Amino acid sequence: MKKPLLISFVLVALLQLAVPLKMVFDQEKIIATGVEYKFRIAPVDPYDAFRGRYITLNFEKNSFEVLNADTFVRDEPIYIYLTTDSAGFADVADVSKKPPTYKTDFVSAKANYFYDGKLSFNLPFNKFFMEETKAPEAEKVYREAIRRDDIQNAYALVSVKEGQAVLKDVIINGISIKTLATKHE
Amino acid sequence: MSKNFTKELEELTKAEIISDDTAEKIRNYYHTRESNSSTMLIAFAVIGAILVGLGVILIIAHNWDNLSRPTKVVFAFMPLIIAQLLCGFSLVKKQGQAVWVESTSILLFFAVGASISLVSQVYNMHGNLGAFLFVWSLLSLPIIYIMRSYAASLLYIIVITYYAVESNYSWSFSMNRENMHYWWMFLLVVPSYLMNFKKSPHSNSIRVHNWIIPISLTIALSTLSHRSEDFLYMAYLSLFGFFYALGNASVYSQSKRRGNGFLVLGSLGTVSLLLTLSFNWFWERSHNTENIFGLEFIAASLTSIAALALIGWQLKQNNNNGIMLMKFAFAIYIVLYILGNFSPSLSQMLINVLILSIGINLILSGTKEDHLGLINYGLLVITSLIICRFFDSDMSFIIRGLLFIAVGAGFFTANYIILKKRKQK
Repeated sequence: MKKPLLISFVLVALLQLAVPLKMVFDQEKIIATGVEYKFRIAPVDPYDAFRGRYITLNFEKNSFEVLNADTFVRDEPIYIYLTTDSAGFADVADVSKKPPTYKTDFVSAKANYFYDGKLSFNLPFNKFFMEETKAPEAEKVYREAIRRDDIQNAYALVSVKEGQAVLKDVIINGISIKTLATKHE
Repeated sequence: MSKNFTKELEELTKAEIISDDTAEKIRNYYHTRESNSSTMLIAFAVIGAILVGLGVILIIAHNWDNLSRPTKVVFAFMPLIIAQLLCGFSLVKKQGQAVWVESTSILLFFAVGASISLVSQVYNMHGNLGAFLFVWSLLSLPIIYIMRSYAASLLYIIVITYYAVESNYSWSFSMNRENMHYWWMFLLVVPSYLMNFKKSPHSNSIRVHNWIIPISLTIALSTLSHRSEDFLYMAYLSLFGFFYALGNASVYSQSKRRGNGFLVLGSLGTVSLLLTLSFNWFWERSHNTENIFGLEFIAASLTSIAALALIGWQLKQNNNNGIMLMKFAFAIYIVLYILGNFSPSLSQMLINVLILSIGINLILSGTKEDHLGLINYGLLVITSLIICRFFDSDMSFIIRGLLFIAVGAGFFTANYIILKKRKQK
């Protein structure tokens, strides 16, 4: 057994651990020190909402009026500057190709299409992972909420810090969808 | 070989009952005998390790909602740490034992990917499959060299091929994604292949590599397609020509055809691409002359130079294996392509002649080698050519019918004669 081989193995092993660890630290930092925003969820095509182990979220604020929309290219990274509306939900203050130079919360997203003076975009936190057996129950809860028209009370709880965002929970009428799905069983 | 036996051998040499030379020969004999008997064991260990690895991922991917976030994170790291410990154990204690090395390396390979994807799941991170595959393969690359694992190298090639496809074909077409990372990532695995090839050129793992490598390159080349497809066809023909020449190199041609993916892919690729290029549509359409010096042009130049250099070197070494026309098909095509700018119909006709000659050559060399498969392959090439011409030529039905009867009769007589010859022997 050669020593250099063992040393390089240990180094590689540490590197392999470092990458996921860094991911954990980054996310935890956003959760601990980031600003919390509530993104209102819009009704979605229910057949498209659940794909196995996660819910695909559709946000009410998914487009913004911009003047120079034709300069945006599809799939290009863009920055959504955030603000809070009077009801306490997240709102879009501006959309830009560059991160803000002044102090404001923002998230990175991808430009989608341009229609009717509005640029639509995809927010990067539209997947909420759930236990596979609960996902179908969550689907029922979600559909009922849409039927009762009180979807107004459904939002995604997101921590935002320096352009990065972590989706923490999905809340329907004040209760986490995870709890709702368990109760529903 | 048991430790006792090794000790006995040392004693015998010390007592000068057998010479050092004989002891070495005995050791080698037992070593090869052991490696033969353990092939099955390795195969089962590899399959077992893959199944266990995937099973662990599935269980954790259940995404237990009842667990708190920190617990989930700990679980995400578990497979990685366990696999690393197992790998470390086989590196220190079981070095040279293929069953241990291969199975723990596979576990580690999957564990690296699993821990990254599990962490992204815990934090609902927006998945970018391309970036994930990139990080996964780079973190797993050292396993190939440190553990000397063949299986890890195979998995690495598969993952980077997936990455090449994933990162170059996006759902939106507005973005021109020219992601070149695959190519240097592929080059990183080549030294390991060459080292293993030097050690045992006819081993099973090398044979599997001889298939996986050309398949991977064939798939990855298509990701260069952006603007000028003409040069992409050229690049493909040159790549297949390179494969065919490589498959005919003396080191490869000793192994059986089923272990020589370079030869089989090179030959099949050349013939099918030539058949595609023998159609009217290719020569009649307007050829895109804008952006000709793009990626495809570079790819075509590089592959053509590589193929020419290899064939030139082989000719110098007096290696005349294989069918010359097949080897040089790419070079002939380049000439025909240039000619096609002035007279498309002449080029198209000459392509047909080229395919026909390759078919005849295959039949002739099959007869010489008494190889029934090769003869039938040649006949199949000619039949395919005739079928293709059914679609776009103005031949009368009588001529087409006669051609088919002739080729059909050819199939019968060739097989009959060869089988009869073999019986007489």
